[in-house]
Parts: sequence; structure tokens; C-alpha cells
Amino acid sequence: MFRKKHVAPKATYRETFKKGDGATKLSFFLMGSNAFANKQWVKGIVFLLSEIIFFVWFFMSGIPALKLLSNLGPDKTKRVVYDASQGVYVTKQPSNSVLILLFGILAIFMCIAFIWIYYLNLRSTRNNYIAKRDGDHIATNMEELKSLFDSRLHSTLMTIPLLGILFFTVLPTVFMISMAFTNYDRQHPIAFSWTGFQAFGNVLSGDLAGTFFPVLGWTLIWAVAATATTFFFGVLLAMLIESKGIKHKGFWRTVFVIVWAVPQFVSLLMMAQFLDYQGALNNILMNLHLISSPIHFIDNQASPLVARITVIIVNMWIGIPVSMLVSTAIIQNLPQDQIEAARIDGANAAQIFRSITFPQILFVMAPSLIQQFIGNINNFNVIFLLTGGAPMNSKYNGAGSTDLLVTWLYNLTFGQEQRYNASAVLGILIFVISAVVSLLAYRRTNAFKEG
Amino acid sequence: MKIWKKLALASTLVLVGLSAAACSNNSSSNGGNSGSSKLTLWVDTEQVPYYKNIVKDFTKTHKNISVRVVQSPNGSANAKTDVGKDPSKAADVFEVPNDQLGQMAEAGYINPLSPQDTKKIKSDYIDVASKGVAWKGKIYAYPYAQQAQTLYYNKSKLSENDVKDWTTLTSKGVVGTDFTNAYVMWPVFFSAGTQLYGKSGEDLHGSNFASEKGVNALKWFAEQKHNKGVMQTSNALNQLKKGNASAILDGPWNAANIKKILGDNFAVAKYPTINVGGKNVQMEAFLGIEGFAVNSHTSNAKAASQLASFITNKKAQLIVHKEAGQIPVLKSAVNSQAVKSDPVAEAVIEMAKPGNSVLQPKLPQMAAFWNGAAPLISGTYDGKIKPADYMAQLKKLQKSIEKK
Amino acid sequence: MKSYSAQRRLSLIGRYILLTILAILWILPIVWIILASFSYNDTGFVSTFWPDKFTLQNYIGIFTNPQYPFGNWIINTLAISLASMVISTFLTISVAYVLSRLRFAFRKPFLQIALVLGMFPGFMAMIALYYILKGLNMLNLFGLLLVYVGGAGLGFYVAKGFFDTIPRAIDEAAEIDGATNWQVFLHIGLPLSKPMIVYTALTAFIAPWTDFIFSGIILSTSGNAKDYTIAYGLYNMVHTAKGNATAYFAQFVAGCVIIAIPITILFVFMQKFYVNGITAGADKG
Repeated sequence: MFRKKHVAPKATYRETFKKGDGATKLSFFLMGSNAFANKQWVKGIVFLLSEIIFFVWFFMSGIPALKLLSNLGPDKTKRVVYDASQGVYVTKQPSNSVLILLFGILAIFMCIAFIWIYYLNLRSTRNNYIAKRDGDHIATNMEELKSLFDSRLHSTLMTIPLLGILFFTVLPTVFMISMAFTNYDRQHPIAFSWTGFQAFGNVLSGDLAGTFFPVLGWTLIWAVAATATTFFFGVLLAMLIESKGIKHKGFWRTVFVIVWAVPQFVSLLMMAQFLDYQGALNNILMNLHLISSPIHFIDNQASPLVARITVIIVNMWIGIPVSMLVSTAIIQNLPQDQIEAARIDGANAAQIFRSITFPQILFVMAPSLIQQFIGNINNFNVIFLLTGGAPMNSKYNGAGSTDLLVTWLYNLTFGQEQRYNASAVLGILIFVISAVVSLLAYRRTNAFKEG
Repeated sequence: MKIWKKLALASTLVLVGLSAAACSNNSSSNGGNSGSSKLTLWVDTEQVPYYKNIVKDFTKTHKNISVRVVQSPNGSANAKTDVGKDPSKAADVFEVPNDQLGQMAEAGYINPLSPQDTKKIKSDYIDVASKGVAWKGKIYAYPYAQQAQTLYYNKSKLSENDVKDWTTLTSKGVVGTDFTNAYVMWPVFFSAGTQLYGKSGEDLHGSNFASEKGVNALKWFAEQKHNKGVMQTSNALNQLKKGNASAILDGPWNAANIKKILGDNFAVAKYPTINVGGKNVQMEAFLGIEGFAVNSHTSNAKAASQLASFITNKKAQLIVHKEAGQIPVLKSAVNSQAVKSDPVAEAVIEMAKPGNSVLQPKLPQMAAFWNGAAPLISGTYDGKIKPADYMAQLKKLQKSIEKK
Repeated sequence: MKSYSAQRRLSLIGRYILLTILAILWILPIVWIILASFSYNDTGFVSTFWPDKFTLQNYIGIFTNPQYPFGNWIINTLAISLASMVISTFLTISVAYVLSRLRFAFRKPFLQIALVLGMFPGFMAMIALYYILKGLNMLNLFGLLLVYVGGAGLGFYVAKGFFDTIPRAIDEAAEIDGATNWQVFLHIGLPLSKPMIVYTALTAFIAPWTDFIFSGIILSTSGNAKDYTIAYGLYNMVHTAKGNATAYFAQFVAGCVIIAIPITILFVFMQKFYVNGITAGADKG
């Protein structure tokens, strides 16, 4: 069966409204009336219902929500009053700006959603109008429902995931972005107000700037080093295991994969103790007489450089198994002819690796490397669980020498100072950095092609 | 047309409508105040069993109040952030360490006590306790314990006389301590004669540690790096157990663990004297007062106050002392036989006296203080901060903690 | 000729030695963690490699601890991870299939939006998530499940890459035979993507066992330790009150080892699927 694709002559909405029948005209005000007139009652009910619900909601709570959003609540200060009848003090709470902000954003979402439904309603009306005008078949209820499993399958399958994304990713992200433009902090924990770009000023040139730029620098160095080391040594390890003559390849791979499999909050928390000044590793090294006095790896006495190198090495311990696995698969699928040709020409193993194998792996892995890079910028676990930012740095504000932007963000929110707005600003800046880096990288590699 | 999309959006609308309705219901039920009330009490995890018993007595006499005793999310030390996350979901009564009291009062998370209860606390409790829970002239929590660090040592290695002075202590034994912890180390500044937020601890511009005296304290930290009898460690207990350290500086909350480790050799004493700026002075500690505060979002402030008052009465304080080694603050409980015969309590009470310790300030700016003080002390100890920079660093810290 | 084969032998031995050293380096800390879980410990810190004193008490303790209901945590986590596995897998595979095989107006914008959304750090979103769930009165395990499932629609990259490698000719043949898109999805797409389904399902299954941050934010307010998942419960054990870390540390390590075992087995089992997914996704370059 072939679906006929005939292109209907277009009609403007103006024409639809002017020349349409009563129900069509009514559709511009009472959504779904055209659908009812054409016996598409399912669609009609959905349209009508959403209009009713929307307007009931809009007048009951939509308007107040939007009004409150403009100043995040009128009541900015709390009042403690004595309740003589009970003999206790009670606190009259100020406006809860977090909820006001959240519901304000929700209200905007609702309005956009309604406008979109209204647009769909108009489009449906117009299509029915065109079909009627040209004497074409108007889809029946059953046909419409059936199309959900055929030509409109994407909508059926995407609805629930989209709702999930909307509620649990988009809404929180918009909320976070809005927070950056308020004074939501320790001094304004319940009621806060819009303050424009003030929080951005604090981070970029105010009291946090002295921390932001050095931490940003280390974050970028870390992301490059962590991605490069795990990738490069992962490839080498994979080639070692895959090299001729090594038996029980599966066993060797599994040994390394175990490290990857242990949950990070276990392996990293324990690793922190393992590397402590009085920890097991220093003990082992002392007993083997490899060192004469213990080394400060990641504690507060460590030099920032040693701590940063240690963190990168521990990250290799965790990250190399993954990239080893991935490169193994690529190596197994590499075309052998080029390598054979090179070997016949007398190239040695190192040359083959440098000019054939490695570039090929790099080419295949480029997109996932970029993703790993972004992942490393946001690599919370390794720093938070391993060093907690240590060693401390008296030049920084609320961060240590190994803190990344993302762990600093966490400290600002859940640590001593509770500067929610500043951490929202950091979140936005991290996004900007990630976006710029990946845009440049994707352009460069040109590997990100739309299938 | 695209019915499914409309369906999706319609269901979104319904969902949102429902959630909006649910929320507004939640907030409106706040003011309700009927005959019987339900309260929630947050305590630390290991305190749950005995507080359940204490609360049982309470509900016997207050039949119309039911109480749920649960563990606070991240422990009382993090009350500020746990409550701050969502005050309306926090317990009606929860534990507050006094250095967070000012911030929580300013933020409006907690209610002041009624005039009658205030009077009671001022008259029946030891002096520092009522001071420790006061903020801007009002009392904000029902105190139940005092905390100050003391010196725990191994009797078989050190004598009572050895631990009286830092120099003899560190020449005859090894003290395990943590120079990255400002709570432990900052009080050396008090020994050196400086003040944090003035004499009262509430004067924002009253700090004077950016001075010659403050530099003396930093010099003392730097000297300890070269003192063979001082061990920097993140795990003092382990070092004590292995015999690498013969004494540690720790608080009453760890006393039970230390007793387990040292067994019969367990001994406790007040801090020794130290030599700062050429003078022999008492090494001081921070004095903390733990108390229960009433959530300002509670729907039943009266019942909550009754509960908070009850779980900090004499009997309760003695139970908590027996179970967890917490040192009471109610005069009559302090004078009881059980507390008097406890060497840890004796040492803590001794430390709590003026001249041996300083009450933790309660200003909201303490947050900035903790953030800045730890790297300063740690950096001075391990030499990352050079003596020439001492003054500049102290000035920087003093300035940053005076900000509004 | 003889020297050549000797040289090869030497190289092989050298490679074996290198591999063994590396393997030991990698596995050593893991062995140490397991040893630590069997060591008697009352100081909250393990300073030696070989325990001074072996004990099984930690394992008995973790199951009988009155404050920390380890058994409940396992049940909670199992329930939530099974539910999340079924739902997330269906959602992820659906989205990946749709984006890979079907063409519609919203497709490109969606791909771009998904890319952008993935670049925001998730932490700040937690405050909003908390209030959304509170609004729905779901600050419980079910709410946590919603959070895990809610992002499933964005985790389509690997699976989409996999679908991209399946030739479209197969679908087209079926369509000519009169199959609807739904039938193609059900009878051709899904069976072909079996390795991808296994991979996605295992990833979704493992996530709740390792997440201690979201679970902490959402579950901690209830104050009821019986409602925790295992990752938050264990993390909470050593990160709350002063003195707690000391008392429960050994049990914490034992608990960690117990949950690490099944996850490790799953991972070892999954590595093949993981590799297939990644390379299939990357191949299109």
C-alpha cells in the first residue's frame, strides 16, 4: 500500500476564518468546534478540554503566579511576633521566593504550551477547511488514532520521554538559570529578589573572581589531562592485551574492568585513605624502602602540584579500563590491509602504531573523546570523594587547590556559605565553556555528522 | 491533526494543575492548630534510640501530642543546610550547634523562646549555656549539652604532670592533632590574646587578630611543624591506637571511642599551657553549646516548645550523658553524682570556665570565618604561607569576615 | 632464524611481565578494600595493607545494625533499579529508534536541544527537582524513580548510534509488504537491538546502586532510614554525626563490598555490550 502524497493547495488562516463555516469560525475562539463538526470527536474533546482547563487555571492561579514572578513575592522580611494566647513566639514568614519562581516558570511553560495547542487547533481547522473546500476525504476518528502507530509513531513514542525531559531537565535548568539573576543567598534564604547581573559581577570581577579564574584554569588543565591520559594509555593497554601471543585475553581485560565496576563512592573514598599520609600506600613504600619518609599525596599538607598529579593518576586508574575496552573493539575491527602493507615495507611496530593504528583509533573515537572531555569538566566524583578539594588554598574563597568548578559549585550551595545565586552563575559559565569547547571540537573533527 | 501532541500537552496541563493544587494545599494547611498535634523531632542517628525513650515519657504526660523521632538528614552539625534546604519540611524541633544559631535566627528558621522559658533558662542553667543560645538579646534554643575539646592521653606513657605543659607533653610524648581543622586550632589565637568578634562574640567589627598578637599565634603554628612531639594527622584515633601518638586533642563525642581504644590507660585532662609570643598561657578551646530549637515553620509552636523543653530537662540530660557522654548544662544535672564522677565531664567543665575556652561566636559571618580560617592555619603550619605574609593574610581574613 | 624466535619469546615474556605488573597495580587497591572489610577496626581508618586482626564481625554487624537497616536498603534499591530498568530501557530505546529511523519536523531541533541540555551541570537543578517532587508530594522512593526515569529520554546517544548502523533497506522491505511503522518497530527494530537493550537495561539497573547525591537530596527529608537506597544509606553512615564515622567505618566497608560484588559481576557481563554500543555509535564518523 502506498500512501498518496498529494500537496493540498494552501490556504491562509485569514481565508480559513473568512470563508469557513460557522464551526470553523468558532474554532478560533472555542477550540475543537471544527473537529466536532467533522465528527473528529476525540480531537475535539482534547482541544475543548485543554482550553477549559487552561482558562480555569489561568484565572485561578495563572495570573497570580505570573504577577508574583515579577518581584518574587511582595513580603521580603520576616516578622517575629509574640502570640500571647499560646505564650510563644511565632514567625510570620516572608514570601517563599523559591516556590514563586518555580510556579512562575511553570506558568510561563503553561502559557507557551497553550499557545502551541491553540496553533495546532488552528492548523487542524485549516486542514479540514482545505479538505472540505477541495472535496477531499476528511480523516475519521479511527484513521487519526491509527496514524499514531504508523505515520505518527514518533509522537506516540516520544510523548512520555518528552514529558520526563520537560519536567525533570528543562524546567529545573530554566529554574537554575533564573536563580543566577537573583540575590538568593545566605542573607536572603527565603525571600529574594531579582538583581540582574549582580551575581555575575561577583563571580567575574567581585570577591569570587580571585577563585574563579584559577579554578577555571585548573578545570581545563584537568579535563585535557584526564581525557588525554586515559585515552592514550587505554589504547596502549588494549594493544598490549591484543598483541600476538598473549593468551586468556578475556581474563586480562576482566582484571582491569573490575576497577571500573566498583562503585566510585566506594573505590574513591577508600582510595583517599589508601593515599593518606599515614595510609597503606605510604606504609608499603616505606617497608619496601622506596621512600625514606611518607609522601603527602592528597592531604592538606600536600603541595598543590603533587595533589593534582595524584588526582590525575588516580583518574587513570579508574578511567583507563573503560578506554581500554573501547579501543579493544576498535582495534579488532581495524582494516588489516594497510598494516600488512606497512609491515611488508619494513615498518616496525612503533611506526605502524604512530602512523596507522593510532590515527585510525583517534578518528573513530573523536566524538566520544569530546563527550569525555565535557564529562571530565563536570567530573564531580573523583574530586569530591578523593580529595574534597584538598589541599586547602588560602588564596581561594571556599575552594581548595584540586577543586573543579563543579565541586566548587557544590560547596557554594551545600557548604558553609550557601551562595545559591553564585553557584547558578557557575552552572551557566560551565555550560558556556562546555558549549564553546564542543562546538570548536566538533567543527574541527567534522566527525559529528547527522545520520 | 497531531492528536497525540495535543494529548501530551493536555496531560501536561492536567499534571501541572494537579501539582499546583497539591502545593497550595500544602501551604494552606500550615496554620492549622487543633487539639491534637503531630510533631517531628530530628536528632543524630545514634541518638534515636534513647531520644525515643525520652519522648515516650513526654507523650505520657502530653496525651494529645504525638511525636516522631527521626534522624536528621546530615547530622546536627549540618543543621543550617538541612533546615535551609526546605524549612517547611524540616522537623518541628531540631538540634542546633550554637555557631549556626545566629544565622538560623537571622534567616528566620527558628523562633525565640517564650518569656517564661527564657527566664527559666537564665536562672536554672549554667551561665555559658544561656549565653551560648542567645542571639541579639533573645534566647533561641533549649540547651542540653556543652562541648569543649580536651586532651585525651595514654596513662601508661604520660603522667598527670607531663600533660600540664605543651613543651613537656611534646618532649615526653607525641600529640596527634589536625592543623587543618580551625575548630581545633583557632583558639590558640585566644591564648595569644586576640578576640574574634569582640568580647561578646557578637560584634561584627570586634575582631582584632590582625595584630602582632595574631602573628604570634601563627608563629606558634609554624613552630609546631618542627616539633617532633607534634603529629599532624587526619586520623588521630588510629595513631593513638597504634601507639604512634600518646595524646590527642578531641571532643566528648569521641570519648567512648577513645575509651575503647585505650582501655585502662584512658585518661583525660584539660588543655596544657603553651608558649605564645614569649608568654606561658593556657591553651584555649572553643566552647560549644548544643541545643534544641523550634522550627519557625511549625504548625504548632506551643507543643513544639513543650517538647523541646521536655527533652532537655534534667532527666533527659542525664540520660544523654549516660548514653553518649554529653556534658549537661542544667545546674542541677551538672551537680549530680553521675556527672561529678565522670572524668571526661570534669575535664570539659573545667575547660568551659572563662580563660580556658571561648564561646563560639554566633554571627552568620562564622560561615566565612570557617572557610577562611582553616586554609590560613593549615598553610601557616606547613609553610605554604611565609612569615612575611602573616600580617597581610590575617588582615585579609579579618576583612572578609566583617562583610555583611 | 633461531635468534629471531628467541627474540620473539623474549618480547612475549616481557609483555607478560608488563601486563602482570599492571594488573597487580590495578587490582591491589581492590584487594586492599576487601581485606579492610575483614579487618577489626575501631578507629575509622585503615593504615596497613594487611589487617592486624581478621574478623567477620563487620559483615554480621552491617546486617544487624539497628540504626542502619541494610536489608531494607537492598530491597529498596533492588525495587527501584528494576522498575527504573524496565521503564528507562523502553523510553531510551523508543527515543533512539525514533530519532534514528523516523523523519519528522521536530527531530533536528530535538537533537540540538538534547545536546545543549546535556551540558548544564545537574547540581543546581537539584533544588528545583526537590521542589517539583515536593509539589507532587513525592519525596520518596517513587519520586526518586521519576528522577531516574525522567532523564531517560536524553540518554539515547549510544542506542541511536547502534540503530544508525542497521541498514534502512530492512525497514523499507517491510513497509512495502504493508507493515505499519509500529509493526516495523515491534517486529524488526526491537529484535535487532537486543544487545543494545541489554546494555541500556544494565546501565539503568546499575545507576541507582551508585548514586548517593540525588537519592540523598530526595530521600533524606523523610528521616526514615528504612526508606534510603543503598548508596545514600552507606554514604550517610560515615558522613553524618561526629564520632559516627569512627564507630561504623568497618561496617561501611563491609556493606560496600557486599554491593560491589553483584555490580562487578554485571559489569563484567556487560563489557561486551558496552563495547558494541560505543563502537557502533562511533563508527558513523
